Amino acid sequence: MNPPAGIGSWPVLRQLTGPDRLGRAAAVKSRGSASLEARTATADRVVKSICPYCAVGCAQNVYVRDEKVVHVEGDPDSPVSRGRLCPKGAATLQFTTGSGRMHKVLYRAPYAADWQELDLGTAMDMVADRIIATRRETWEWEVDGKRTARTMGIASLGGATLDNEENYLIKKLLTGLGVVQIENQARVCHSSTVVGLGTSFGRGGATTFMQDLQHSDCIIIEGSNFAEAHPVGFQWVMEAKARGATVIHVDPRFTRTSALADLHVPIRAGTDVAFLGGIINHVLANDLYFREFVVNYTNAATIVGEDFRDTEDLDGLFSGFDPDNRGYDTDTWQYEGMTVVAASGKRDEEYDRRTRHGSSISSAGRGEMHGSGGAALEGTPRRDETMEDPRCVLQILKRHYARYTPEMVERICGIPRELFAEVCRHLVENSGPERTAEFVYAVGWTQHSDGSQFIRAACVLQLLLGNMGRPGGGIQALRGHASIQGSSDIPTLFNLLPGYIPMPHAHAHETLGDFLRADATHKGFWAEMNSYMVSLLKAWWGPAARPDNDFCFDHLPRLTGSHSTYDTVMAQLEGTCKGYLLLGENPAVGSANARMQRFGMANLDWLVVRDFSLIESATWWKDGPEIRTGELRTADIATEVFFLPAAAHTEKSGSFTNTNRMLQWHHAAVEPDGDARSDLWFMYHLGRIIRERLAGSTDPMDAAVLDLTWDYPVEGSVAEPVAEAVLAEINGWDADGTPLSKYTQLKGDGSTACGCWIYCGVYADGVNQAARRKPAGEQNWIAAEWAWAWPDNRRLLYNRASARPDGRPWSERKKLVWWDEEKGEWTGYDVPDFERTKRPDYRPPEDATGVEALSGIDPFIMQADGKGWLYAPAGVIDGPMPTHYEPQDSPVPNPLYGRQRNPARMVYPHEHNRYNPSGDEPGASVYPYVITTYRLTEHFTAGGMSRNTPYLAELQPEPFCEVSPELAAERGLEHGGWATIVTARNAVEARVLVTQRMAPLRADGQVVHQIGLPFHWGPNGLSAGDAANELSSIALDPNSHIQEVKAFSADIRPGRRPRGPALPALVAEYRRRAGVTERTGTEV
Amino acid sequence: MPSKEQVLRLLSQGRDYEEIAGILGVPAGQAYLIATGIPADGGDTVTRGRPGVLPSRSQRLVNPREINPTGRGDVHRWVRRRAWGDPQMQAAADAGEKR
Repeated sequence: MNPPAGIGSWPVLRQLTGPDRLGRAAAVKSRGSASLEARTATADRVVKSICPYCAVGCAQNVYVRDEKVVHVEGDPDSPVSRGRLCPKGAATLQFTTGSGRMHKVLYRAPYAADWQELDLGTAMDMVADRIIATRRETWEWEVDGKRTARTMGIASLGGATLDNEENYLIKKLLTGLGVVQIENQARVCHSSTVVGLGTSFGRGGATTFMQDLQHSDCIIIEGSNFAEAHPVGFQWVMEAKARGATVIHVDPRFTRTSALADLHVPIRAGTDVAFLGGIINHVLANDLYFREFVVNYTNAATIVGEDFRDTEDLDGLFSGFDPDNRGYDTDTWQYEGMTVVAASGKRDEEYDRRTRHGSSISSAGRGEMHGSGGAALEGTPRRDETMEDPRCVLQILKRHYARYTPEMVERICGIPRELFAEVCRHLVENSGPERTAEFVYAVGWTQHSDGSQFIRAACVLQLLLGNMGRPGGGIQALRGHASIQGSSDIPTLFNLLPGYIPMPHAHAHETLGDFLRADATHKGFWAEMNSYMVSLLKAWWGPAARPDNDFCFDHLPRLTGSHSTYDTVMAQLEGTCKGYLLLGENPAVGSANARMQRFGMANLDWLVVRDFSLIESATWWKDGPEIRTGELRTADIATEVFFLPAAAHTEKSGSFTNTNRMLQWHHAAVEPDGDARSDLWFMYHLGRIIRERLAGSTDPMDAAVLDLTWDYPVEGSVAEPVAEAVLAEINGWDADGTPLSKYTQLKGDGSTACGCWIYCGVYADGVNQAARRKPAGEQNWIAAEWAWAWPDNRRLLYNRASARPDGRPWSERKKLVWWDEEKGEWTGYDVPDFERTKRPDYRPPEDATGVEALSGIDPFIMQADGKGWLYAPAGVIDGPMPTHYEPQDSPVPNPLYGRQRNPARMVYPHEHNRYNPSGDEPGASVYPYVITTYRLTEHFTAGGMSRNTPYLAELQPEPFCEVSPELAAERGLEHGGWATIVTARNAVEARVLVTQRMAPLRADGQVVHQIGLPFHWGPNGLSAGDAANELSSIALDPNSHIQEVKAFSADIRPGRRPRGPALPALVAEYRRRAGVTERTGTEV
Repeated sequence: MPSKEQVLRLLSQGRDYEEIAGILGVPAGQAYLIATGIPADGGDTVTRGRPGVLPSRSQRLVNPREINPTGRGDVHRWVRRRAWGDPQMQAAADAGEKR
């Protein structure tokens, strides 16, 4: 209602004459206020979308008026987010429409001092020409007589923030071009998850989903600041708490999560295996495990070969360690009388035995093939159902953890015995038929030189307690980017093909049949690998893929070892990798040893950066840290740099896979402005241009890219590829052109095509299942009709284990899936993760293979033996059971074994990557404190999506370090003042935040001070500062090739860091004092 | 401003919120808020056991036209062209049927 004009508009007159006699409402409403209209009310349309930040996958409504996005808010229909958004999601409007974004292509010529503008078409042609030229110049047909058919001259990095369809085209095109160095944030974030969960259960993704947290009786959050990094998902922890659950937070710092927990357990960063091992010991020593669950659903009763030796026998080593190769021969780890294909490390001897062909180069990164499908087994294991045999897994486990006592936990982790006992009590009391407990973790676990084993430890515990596959139980892996699960599934990773099929390694005379014989298990669903692989090859190479050419299997380039992003950096420094594509990733801030990343890029011929703004990885040549120190000179840097602006999620359609394996579609609300384009557009048109350039070539090296199916429809004024067509290819179809509904429809004879077998079903019936939006209010908590989850829209994995061996629920309170004898099928609230009509009392004949070999009590259907693995005879390169080792850089000696660090970890000796001395090594006292890095709610990973957004930059304006009052007193640090933090790699400065939330811990008789350091900052943007990753080193988990950035040692001193050449001089002086050499920290 | 009783009375007569909006001269979402005390855009998560509360999708009362297509005919046609254009795939399917 508009107030009247003139004197009648005066508030006092309106108050006296109108209905608002108290003058609190209509009487005092101004004309300005009255003319305001809600942006939502005046919009033309509202488009359904998904937040592009973390992996909770909050649904968004995007409002459009006059072809401009005018508002973004949460979608209340979402069963996951219920309409809520965190500060980042709430800032989406500013992020996507504000001034922080670039819309023009920029080009830096070799040796140039500055950017120049370039038109998009010319830029695309130039990039295509660089790729063609570099590829030709660096093409390699073979290595040591083994066919490789690839180029090591080109690499790409990104993108966990991209759509599945974009990742699919990246992998497809670059693989067709012979590029193997394809990586993304999943490598540096949750690759350990794929190995840890995959080898334990058969699939490497979170076993449960966000809403199911409400059913938990006890939630342990460890290696995660859940409330901070996944704030909207945390509402489900609060739901559980409101229903009486106990919430425990185990973390070096007292954080936002701790503030809402019932119990905070301060732990020394990097000692979680000791802590979890202590709980395992408590459970086993006191017979507190869920016996019926364990004996039926795990490999506890399986007998291990008599040659196996434990770390208790060999002071921190398992049998089979070869110090020259820094790895294990896993023969002695096997089950008695069985062969298991070693998924990583020394696979080739195994390959020779299985295929009887010639030997080849070492393999690497194979642990992640267990992202969907456990290790292959040959034979039938022997079991002792009493679990008393000293060589059965349960007894081996007991012996392995016998010294992980409460006293040892206190000594290693700094956790008082009483507090440890309390955690054990809550966990055990809330596990069993009537109650379940859940573990929630994130990169506080994954980012260690033995990160895969951190997760394995939780898997062992949850299996022993019988919490797997049950409501309120399981393991919630909190991944951190909008589609990082997708970029692992599809994937843009060097060692995998879509659906966790391993990339082939170089072997002499290897055919598709050899490849399948070497890798496919003969039992379980992974026995169908032939169907999954052939269908993928048909999707990629279409009519060219035929039986007579092994379905173009030879079009796949071959691996010869590790080609992870960190190996790529080494290759850049050596000069063998000449071209680099960065697709929504910022390694100059976000990858370990940021300085080394920049030195690597300074050695490139060309670099393509696609992002929203000028991130540090695009500008290091101009004003990066090494320019300021004088170690690099702009005029000496030959690297040609292309910056191509990227489209936002509101400007493109596609699917994100959230942390719970759920694919959610987001629709384009508007077209992008200026030269901004989606990565779907970029990859498709890049491929089109390259194929046009190479058309008619008879050179065999061009066959793979020319044979690719590359005919996607395009639409709109910018010729954007139709993302739904890519999704349809990912889903797959049969010879009639009917979209497939289930991966069990896939065939190995070429009559089906499917770009990613675990996603088969997402386009069932020609309906984009990922776009389904049936409101939460119309469904139960599982919300099966909102979007679509792999596999087969099952939301809670291994749910067969939610029922007893006879098929009845363990309890009425925790029923989820059960056997209906009358109907002869499994039924319940979720899609059964089991063959629907397989009876619980089915026992396979001895010669059964494939799915028939799984019994009615084998809930882990992707494992060759159908069991959850307490002990992993294969799949993890550094041990069948998790073992405590100290981080790569640690001021504390390992009190459990004579072995300080993970002997199988990967180290990269280099002048830019020196390690700190550790434990009681000489010089360790020069770096006496422990750094742990972490996120803040208001920023996002390496800052490219938050530091240029004013709302977010304002909320967290500059980097800081958190220290205890005791440490501040010890080092003379002032709250609000500056501090300089130094490692053997580099030094950074940060504001000091003195807080009691950082409690000093006592570890092995010494006080250990920990320093907290958020990792979002870099020198660019509205909110700028030094990057935490200047301090970290490259030391990797050998299974996942993930770096250790959650725990490393450093010194801290008051004051700002030096500028110019004085900065590297300070770092060098520290190294001299500590006696750092090229050998420091590299011993096995 | 219409009263809660007015809106609830109209609801009890079987009218929906769009009709009530026309009768009372207020936006449909405002009528919903008056009746239930809950914002129609779903921005406030509260218990739903109140008279007049819709089981779900109340946001359609306040939002403009919603865009969420779940299938495209042009993609279906493209898929069929891809499949039919692959002779090996066709031959393999035929051979499979004969087995």
